[in-house]
Amino acid sequence: MTDVLDVDSLPAVDRRALERLILTLADSKRLMGIRYSDWLLGAPSIETGIATSSMAQDEWGHARLVYAMLKDLDIDPVAVEHDRSPEEYASIGALDQEMPDWAALVAAMVLVDGALTTALASFAEGTFESARGRVPKMLAEEEFHASLGTAWYRRLARSEGDARRLLIEATEAMLPDVLAWLGADDGPARAVANAGVIGPADELLAAFRDRVRDVVALADIDVDRATATTGWDEARGRTPGHPDEHAVERVRGDKNRALFVE
Amino acid sequence: MLDKVYDVFARKDRGDQLVHIGYVDAMDDETAKVHAWTTYDEERWFEMCVVERTAIVPVNRDDGPFAKARRAAHHD
Repeated sequence: MTDVLDVDSLPAVDRRALERLILTLADSKRLMGIRYSDWLLGAPSIETGIATSSMAQDEWGHARLVYAMLKDLDIDPVAVEHDRSPEEYASIGALDQEMPDWAALVAAMVLVDGALTTALASFAEGTFESARGRVPKMLAEEEFHASLGTAWYRRLARSEGDARRLLIEATEAMLPDVLAWLGADDGPARAVANAGVIGPADELLAAFRDRVRDVVALADIDVDRATATTGWDEARGRTPGHPDEHAVERVRGDKNRALFVE
Repeated sequence: MLDKVYDVFARKDRGDQLVHIGYVDAMDDETAKVHAWTTYDEERWFEMCVVERTAIVPVNRDDGPFAKARRAAHHD
């Protein structure tokens, strides 16, 4: 068993690196949930709509658990969840805009949710005790997301006409942001890797490529040749940009703020 | 749209009878598992399984959904 990280004795710079990792995972989970929730009523079948509803709930539950890890760093997760502007969100860039069609959501299931699961699997095996305890259940729930995503990706990739074209376009649009996020090798990423909290960038990228290689190949996309988005916001640990205002209003629960109880 | 019908069976606790709780449409076994688990989530099931309807062999009726599904599959 890997040694447990003593969070209290971490240098300030490493604490900020761990905070960035937690935030980017939690924000991405929350935005992923929003994007799933947009398809509760627009999915191709009742059963698929119910599945996206369940997946939205899963992602929001996961986000809540990951935000709560900030308490280990003496940071109040309530303020983080409810008081930030879109420009402060650290979610993966591929989630910045709503999914324009079902093919885009399917691509996000495979690529974005897949990247999050890749990172979380490494996080669960690292030195951060809260991740070891809370992440394994998330990974079990994610198996259903992966099954649905892969099945739909296969179906759309093998279809003819618009569905396949839209899937390819969405994959090509999302993959660079996902590769940039997982492959980040800046100071904070190295700090958490050196502390054993999560694997290094090359290890995460290799695991992700192994995970999606055969799936995206169905759309004639070579994940080993795909390149990452250039440009990087080190403070947030994501590519430049931010999620749309409307999504963040929903994420923060602005409409319900008057009734907010924690 | 989703090609196949799967019947869903589950038991709530260890030792309970496995009972038919409904059905889902799905593309394949994997999506049937996801659809069943997310659609029939009103209980914390101890065990759930799905069976493609065409795999069910009717014993004493030839006018129910199982017989119809099997006939349709064999005519494909």
